[in-house]
Amino acid sequence: MRSTTIEILFPRNLSEALSIFSDAKENLKIIAGGTDVVTGIQQESKRFIDTEVLVDINRIPEIKGIEVRKKKISVGAAETFSDILRNNLIQNELPLLWKACSSIGSVQIRNRATIAGNFVNNAPCADTVPVLLVYNATVEIESLSSKREISLQEFLQGPYKTQLNVNEIVTRINIPIPSKTFVGDFYKLGRRRAVSISRITLAVLMDMRGGIIDEIRIASGAVTPIGARLTGLEKFAEGKEVNDRFFKTLASKMGEEIIKITGLRWSSEYKLPVVQQMFYQLLKSIEQRSL
Amino acid sequence: MITLKFILNGKEVSITTEPHIRLLDLLRDKFDLTGTKEGCGVGECGACTVLMNGRAVNSCLALAAQVEGYEIVTIEGISNGDVLSPLQKNFLLHGAVQCGFCTPGMVLSAAALLDQTPNPTEEEIKDAIAGNLCRCTGYKQIVDAIKETAKELQVK
Ligand SMILES: Cc1cc2nc3c(=O)[nH]c(=O)nc-3n(C[C@H](O)[C@H](O)[C@H](O)COP(=O)(O)OP(=O)(O)OC[C@H]3O[C@@H](n4cnc5c(N)ncnc54)[C@H](O)[C@@H]3O)c2cc1C
Ligand code: FES
Ligand code: FES
Repeated sequence: MRSTTIEILFPRNLSEALSIFSDAKENLKIIAGGTDVVTGIQQESKRFIDTEVLVDINRIPEIKGIEVRKKKISVGAAETFSDILRNNLIQNELPLLWKACSSIGSVQIRNRATIAGNFVNNAPCADTVPVLLVYNATVEIESLSSKREISLQEFLQGPYKTQLNVNEIVTRINIPIPSKTFVGDFYKLGRRRAVSISRITLAVLMDMRGGIIDEIRIASGAVTPIGARLTGLEKFAEGKEVNDRFFKTLASKMGEEIIKITGLRWSSEYKLPVVQQMFYQLLKSIEQRSL
Repeated sequence: MITLKFILNGKEVSITTEPHIRLLDLLRDKFDLTGTKEGCGVGECGACTVLMNGRAVNSCLALAAQVEGYEIVTIEGISNGDVLSPLQKNFLLHGAVQCGFCTPGMVLSAAALLDQTPNPTEEEIKDAIAGNLCRCTGYKQIVDAIKETAKELQVK
């Protein structure tokens, strides 16, 4: 249990929050659902040991809500997984995101944990990351003096590392609505049904036309150091004819690509055949639903 | 130190506390509401479940200061004095309480479910209590108690 005290601030709107961050130092941290932050503080994790000020962002209306903006679905950074799951737009237009959110933690966790908290924390096992990557999501970031929007891919730098500066906040995550010709799936293999920190996740989104792969987007989580797009594999697959043999080839190629990215970690040996088999089955089921 | 105002089990309360202690500690140590249990302390067991604005949350993962202006219900706020709620009564009737450590959290998770989904399927019940671990009962009795309560509340 921590002995030094932490101050907590509750900005009521975005500009109030941005002025707090404008002269922020490393000792200030944002808290949203707190599901990562509070355990981090309790366990005196290195990332929070120097934290003296927490800024609770749950009462800022500008970073809440889910709406359509310029053919994109814009999700407020502080939306909880429970709120996202209740939203029809997400369920109908972004089914992989819906599925990933429904697989997270437990009801209690989903009632508090937020979408931005998930990818800003950027644990290797953050479940929304692979699906947001295949949806080509972009992240809106603001500070008192600037506003930028970059791809999630660029935003994520390494395990528990992102491009975010101490004076910045993620305000929204914007996701282009994919055309109806895209069919996909999200798969997660965890230890237990609920509350499992996922060990293998895969997201695939495929646009198949006349038996040919027009476009395919593939991302993995937990097997790779952070959630990542497997672009080599995507390029290899595009323009190819869809059949069982090709799916098997693609699955074994995926193994090679993961080894390339990870430099083979201790856990790869048993994970690899599982990932390959899972990937093959995902491709089969997507093919069937594409017809 | 900060002074917090919130609604606890239906009553407006005000308390001065360190802002960064957990909601769990605030309830147990400052309000003597020891029905809320600490099992794992890291969000995995659900023994510390309370309702925050009607939703089940882990009180070990919320900081005391975060409840300012919110409505919190603990197991002590579920019964009406000495009269047990239908859920509590059915937990007892169906043998869903053995050592009892998980029970407050279980009952609150079930209460939040029935509030939003008065007629839940078995899948929905299992999902609602998936974040509540019980080492004793094997869950069947708990699911039965929740089903029975849903049925009774439908009739009324
Ligand atoms: C029991 C348990 C089970 C879990 N199960 C899963 C699971 O199945 N899958 C999974 O992916 N995760 C899981 N998690 C991890 C966690 O719940 C998620 O990562 C969650 O999405 C974090 O969101 P939060 O709002 O609680 O983040 P917080 O803990 O509030 O914050 C996390 C980090 O993000 C930063 N941050 C938050 N919001 C912003 C913002 N808008 N702008 C800038 N920075 C921000 C914070 O400063 C902090 O560094 C689990 C956690 C627990 C305790
Ligand atoms: S004590 Fe909070 S979930 Fe276990
Ligand atoms: S009754 Fe003992 S843990 Fe559930």
